[in-house]
Amino acid sequence: MAFAFGFPLVQVVRDSFYAGNFASPIWVGLDNYKGVLSDPAFRQSLFDNMKLLLTVPIMLGIGLAIALVLNDRIRGGRHYQSVVFLPYVLPATAIGIAFSFLLQENGVLNTSLRHAHLGGLAQDWLGNSHLAIVSVGGLVIWQQLGFAVVVFTAALLSLPPETAEAARIDGAGWWQLQLRVLVPQIRPIIELLAVIQVITVISWVFNYVYVLTAGGPGFSSSVMELYIWRSFSNGSDGTAASVAVMLLGMASVLIGLSLWVRKQKIVQ
Amino acid sequence: MALKHVLVVLGLAVVLSAAVFVAGAASKTAKSGDDPNNATLTYWYWAESDAPGANNWLKGQVALYEKAHPKVKVNVVLQSTDTLTSAFTTAAQTKSGPDIATQWATLPTLTPAWAGATVPISDYVPKSEWKNWISTAENMWEGKLWAMPQYLIGIPFVWNKQLFKKAGLNPNKGPKTWAEFLADCKKLKAAGITPFGMGNHGYGGAWFFSLIGKQNLNSINELKDAMIGKQDFANPKFSGFYQALADLKKNGYLNSDVASISFGQGFQLFGQKKAAMSWGTDGNVAQWESQVGAKNMGVEAIPIWGHGKLASSYDVTQSSDAFITKWSKHPQAAAQFLTFLHSPEALKAWYKATGVFPADKRFPSSLVKDPIAKQLLKLDQSPVSVWPENFVPPQVDQNADLAGGEMITAGSGSPSDVVKLWKTQLSQWKSQHPDEYNSYKKWATGS
Repeated sequence: MAFAFGFPLVQVVRDSFYAGNFASPIWVGLDNYKGVLSDPAFRQSLFDNMKLLLTVPIMLGIGLAIALVLNDRIRGGRHYQSVVFLPYVLPATAIGIAFSFLLQENGVLNTSLRHAHLGGLAQDWLGNSHLAIVSVGGLVIWQQLGFAVVVFTAALLSLPPETAEAARIDGAGWWQLQLRVLVPQIRPIIELLAVIQVITVISWVFNYVYVLTAGGPGFSSSVMELYIWRSFSNGSDGTAASVAVMLLGMASVLIGLSLWVRKQKIVQ
Repeated sequence: MALKHVLVVLGLAVVLSAAVFVAGAASKTAKSGDDPNNATLTYWYWAESDAPGANNWLKGQVALYEKAHPKVKVNVVLQSTDTLTSAFTTAAQTKSGPDIATQWATLPTLTPAWAGATVPISDYVPKSEWKNWISTAENMWEGKLWAMPQYLIGIPFVWNKQLFKKAGLNPNKGPKTWAEFLADCKKLKAAGITPFGMGNHGYGGAWFFSLIGKQNLNSINELKDAMIGKQDFANPKFSGFYQALADLKKNGYLNSDVASISFGQGFQLFGQKKAAMSWGTDGNVAQWESQVGAKNMGVEAIPIWGHGKLASSYDVTQSSDAFITKWSKHPQAAAQFLTFLHSPEALKAWYKATGVFPADKRFPSSLVKDPIAKQLLKLDQSPVSVWPENFVPPQVDQNADLAGGEMITAGSGSPSDVVKLWKTQLSQWKSQHPDEYNSYKKWATGS
């Protein structure tokens, strides 16, 4: 355990204080950290990760709404659930490539919009520096939504039916039943999933970004993982290590939060 | 009992140490006994993007070589454009991977050499052989040759004669100067035709730098000086071309999806007759010829934009090359195989498979029959040729050259923003790679 996890961890922290290549590292102290923090490309990457955090409430909101509807035992509910879950089991790389063709200026989406006389809505989804990260966010929501639906549906199914039944007998309407009875009961699950999704968009979005926009145009859709990869691929191991340490710190805080939420759930 | 336990552990330790020693000795013996006719080689190969047909050619050559050398096995691992540099950088850091690797010429090839990850090919191939190879100057350092060129890639300018005619332009006269180019763009646009086609999700801007940006320089040494801070990249002499690119975008002379399509997709526009003008490799031209028809396309050198001595130089490079890694246990075998790829039959087969000229003086030009190909060969043999991107440190190339070009075509940055980016990246390269910077400086100044 110590070798598998401890050694790489110590090595990454150590590398973050060196410049040059692995063969002949040069001690530079905190210079890598200073260099990274003063690099506009890093700041943009960090900012983009923060922007992607906005996908979490959107995804959870839509996921919860779908799960609540499916929980009503609607006709073909299982079929809908499978359809929603399908993107989650597809490889992110394949999805990214498919979406890159879909979202180009003259891609399938814009062509369809123009044919439908909705050309005003057509945008350069990947080539516009303001929209590129929005496109990445849309893709993340599209793929992760299925996971949220499955988790929420499972949580709702595990609830004792007596509570809902009692609420109905007491005259609760559909909205009241959902918002005042069911949702509060699965609150710990919602919180847990929120933390998991926050960790995902902080440190698991490399595939989407790399395949869809490669961080461009320029650095407009870069994220911290991509910044690490770029640095490492350029042989700037110290820079890559320093960002990895920062990312590890952020992820650790979130993992700590996740554990705390789980603990709260167990207590309840 | 305890003593017995200790003895067993000690015994095991001795056996393990002996095993490690024997394995190490065996490994050393294998390297010292590098038999060119008995080896398993791993070759990380890339060329298909430059020269469609290259992968099949190599497959055929490997089969022929293995037949002639039954104890040699060559495992070809195809590389992708996006990860060509990063994959080898990782291999170099772990000192494991291929025996032979592919890289783009000059800095992408020399930086691993400076880091001690490769060996000079001239140590293994006699000069009587490599003096026939063309463009070796791109990979010379400390008097040694570090990689083998396989082919030459010229970058000609092309125009579609039918679309020119449709726009009321003389179909037999391509633009020679930037002013003529802009005038043609204006007429083509007015006729509803996309004047110039390119994709800049990647390398489009970097090509603009190499083809247009160099034109205000008198020699490539000026660019080297700008890389090490002896000259200021903000000087319009180096960065003025970004305004020309921004103007093309602003005036609508580029395809509307330039910022969202890939570099490769950009090449397809000319072949699909969706753009009246473009530029591409000799291999691209061969492909376009089959799509557009030889009589419907014109080929010439890039229009002249700048006023430096390099403005009239042609853009030709070996593009990618092959080198032997430091950790290879079979450098002799690798060198012998690479030399085989320059045999007369292999060169002829290369040209037949790709339509791209081999980088070898022994290639008989009489084999070139096609009129456009003859024109390209003449251009490739221009007395002054240079590909400036090869002289930009790989880190700066990726983070400033490519990224800066994307910013311009996406409209997310002005030329002055891009100049700032270059300066930031040059400064970061200096601080993050002090060793590489010093090697570059020595190489650039010849000290």
